[in-house]
Amino acid sequence: MEREKHLPLTETVFYILLALIEPAHGYLIMQKIEELSGGQVRMAAGTLYGAIENLVNLGFIEPTASDDRRRKVYIITEQGKRILQLDVERMNHMMSAAEEQLKKDRRNLG
Amino acid sequence: MKTCNFFTSFEKEEKWLGSMEQKGFQMINKRLFIYTFAKTSSRRSIIKLDYRSFKTQDAFEDYCALFEDSGWEHIFGTINSGHQYFRKANKQGSEEIFSDTASIAGRYKRLSDMWQTLSFSLFPIGVAVITTMPLDSKTLSLKTPLSFVTPVLWFSFFVTFLLYFYFAYKANKQYKQILKG
Repeated sequence: MEREKHLPLTETVFYILLALIEPAHGYLIMQKIEELSGGQVRMAAGTLYGAIENLVNLGFIEPTASDDRRRKVYIITEQGKRILQLDVERMNHMMSAAEEQLKKDRRNLG
Repeated sequence: MKTCNFFTSFEKEEKWLGSMEQKGFQMINKRLFIYTFAKTSSRRSIIKLDYRSFKTQDAFEDYCALFEDSGWEHIFGTINSGHQYFRKANKQGSEEIFSDTASIAGRYKRLSDMWQTLSFSLFPIGVAVITTMPLDSKTLSLKTPLSFVTPVLWFSFFVTFLLYFYFAYKANKQYKQILKG
């Protein structure tokens, strides 16, 4: 099976996609990322702006209608959801592989 | 107050503008190499620079709103000025406008692309100058005032072209250097 070329997602891309399961504008995305990552990921304005532009070009997110006349509001696309799901599966596999190996290691020690 | 200055490094320009703020001068405008300053008592000295142009007014507004929401005052920059100047507006939030290496480098990439486009767009003008105004013994004799026109045009074209090309090269070098870390 050919591996999806956009995988693995970077930590920031992963959280942006996760934040955009519900529609949000730039600053709200920033706040949601901080919340979802437990304060571990803080994105600066210039970096987030570039990342949003890039994800729109890739078709993973898209602008959506909103009442805010100044701020663009974005939402994840079907393609974005698919890539997010694939990355979750990839990480799940890593988790179970790691747990199994570490368990073996503990048994050998004990 | 107006001051003339020119930078090829965003970091140096940010530092210079920051030190001007500490001396009580805030930048309010920039045209080519001329910076206009107004007196200020704020002493908020963190100035950051981004390089971005926009296709639509909406996109530009959205960009400014994102920075303002996250604690940056947009001091100067227009939809197609490229250089966008920001001043940190309050104590909350990040002291940086970029949070990863790729985006710190990215602004140099966009700057380099602009100079490259500019130098390439000069190319047809250069070809027109070269083919319609040959440098021969007649034009190089420099006997009449008019005979100066061709050499001067040739010279200024080459200097401009080389300068733009050099700026593109320099920005691209900085881009690669930052990426390498």
